[in-house]
Amino acid sequence: MNLLFQQVLNGLTLGSIYGLVALGLTLVYGILHIPNFAHGALYMVGAFASYFFMTDLGLHYWIAMLLSGGVVAVLAMLCERLVFHPLRNAPPIHDKIAAIGILLFLEAVVQMFWGSDFRRMASPFGGILRFDGLIIPEQRLLIIVGAFTLMLALHLFLRKTMLGSTIIAMAQSREGAFLVGIDANRVAMLTFAISGMLAAFAATLYAPINLVYPAMGHLVIMKAFVIIVLGGMGSIPGAIVGAMILGFAESFGGFYLSSDYKDIIAFSLLVVILSFRPTGLFAKGAH
Amino acid sequence: MLQLEAVEVCYGSFKALKGVSMQVGAGELVVLLGANGAGKTTLFNTISGLLKPTAGRVTLEGQRIDGLKPSRLVGAGVVQCAEGRKLFPQMSVQENLSLGAYLHRRDREGNRRNLREVYALFPILEQKKDEPAGSLSGGQQQMVAIGRALMSRPRLLMLDEPSLGLAPLVVNQMFEVITRINRSGTSVLLAEQNAFAALKIAHRAYVIEGGSLVMEGDQQAMLGNEAVRKAYIGA
Repeated sequence: MNLLFQQVLNGLTLGSIYGLVALGLTLVYGILHIPNFAHGALYMVGAFASYFFMTDLGLHYWIAMLLSGGVVAVLAMLCERLVFHPLRNAPPIHDKIAAIGILLFLEAVVQMFWGSDFRRMASPFGGILRFDGLIIPEQRLLIIVGAFTLMLALHLFLRKTMLGSTIIAMAQSREGAFLVGIDANRVAMLTFAISGMLAAFAATLYAPINLVYPAMGHLVIMKAFVIIVLGGMGSIPGAIVGAMILGFAESFGGFYLSSDYKDIIAFSLLVVILSFRPTGLFAKGAH
Repeated sequence: MLQLEAVEVCYGSFKALKGVSMQVGAGELVVLLGANGAGKTTLFNTISGLLKPTAGRVTLEGQRIDGLKPSRLVGAGVVQCAEGRKLFPQMSVQENLSLGAYLHRRDREGNRRNLREVYALFPILEQKKDEPAGSLSGGQQQMVAIGRALMSRPRLLMLDEPSLGLAPLVVNQMFEVITRINRSGTSVLLAEQNAFAALKIAHRAYVIEGGSLVMEGDQQAMLGNEAVRKAYIGA
């Protein structure tokens, strides 16, 4: 019972983090049709920014997380303005190359300042809660609650505010959005900002139970791509459901098979699901 | 109100508009006749800023508007209801209409009033306001598209083939509504293949062929013109 519960908890934790990263990726893809390979680097920068605010400036965890969200949101907007926007009329392969360029650039910059060492980020939530024999580390609970709160906030923003609905409008019909006077540039920047902010929050939530290092985004972004392909490119519910499927598959697969196979499971799952549903679980544009 | 002077538009090396000059006066209902591929949609997209002319100029009440962003043009009152409707298919009818008022989002009272007017114009939309726009019939989707354009508070409303793919009865209703919109003071530029019905409600008309305007005249002249009758009315 307890072991099963631990696996559920691990699955939810992983799924929450993957979900936040995949949401940002799917939002950008849905609007601009850019597969943003640099998204993993934004995640990594988010972790380092929080690390810097906490250890070098001595700020509180929450404040560091908020500031990091702001920093990465600005960085993501800069990527859009300086790199993707000038390429908007270029062939799609240019976006992909540019995204990989941003990824390498950001990693090199971080490595220049912090080196490639693994670092540990402390969190004020290092305690462990016990309920009736069940063990719940506080940070994991925080990740799950935090991720679901952010997902709910994103949902309300997209559905209930005019600004948010411009993102959905642009994803459903680009020309329709132009016809009602929505400014494509504003929507693009807003989408990148949200995407970057979610990545930074995810990184700051996850870093205390993981490590902070320049290559930390690699596996996360690969899995986020698996998730959005699984869920259907551009689909928001698809990203969340896909993230949970992957989180649980890794946690249970890692436990019942072997934790060495944990990362292979994600990609095997991709192959299996795509053999049965080549368009992903949720058709594109289903919100 | 709207004036085009020698406007040219190219797609690569193909010249889609070859020096088009035309105008739409305040309160006028002007029809643009032409076969498929004649350049009607290109002309509309140029006026609404989706395409940039390679030569010539477009002015709205004396102000130059070519090269402005589409969002600026909608703000200036040049609103297009495009061919193929371009709705937000997974959003409800009401969400589609509300997004039409995107640029006027701060004036909630005015938007509520406009929404009531759109529902008065198309009562069926009020019954279906919570259904996804993509699930509606072709005629109803066209109503949503026109309603959404009206929510943008047009001074010049451009309608690109609003009767395309609609049942004849619905087409008549559509033209009635367009007349009503025009009578309430909105200038209308209407591109149509359904020439007879369109000319019946128009003040003036232009005929476009191969990217050039080949004929213009008022309603009577066009309805009486032998070439127009042969080519577009089939009588």
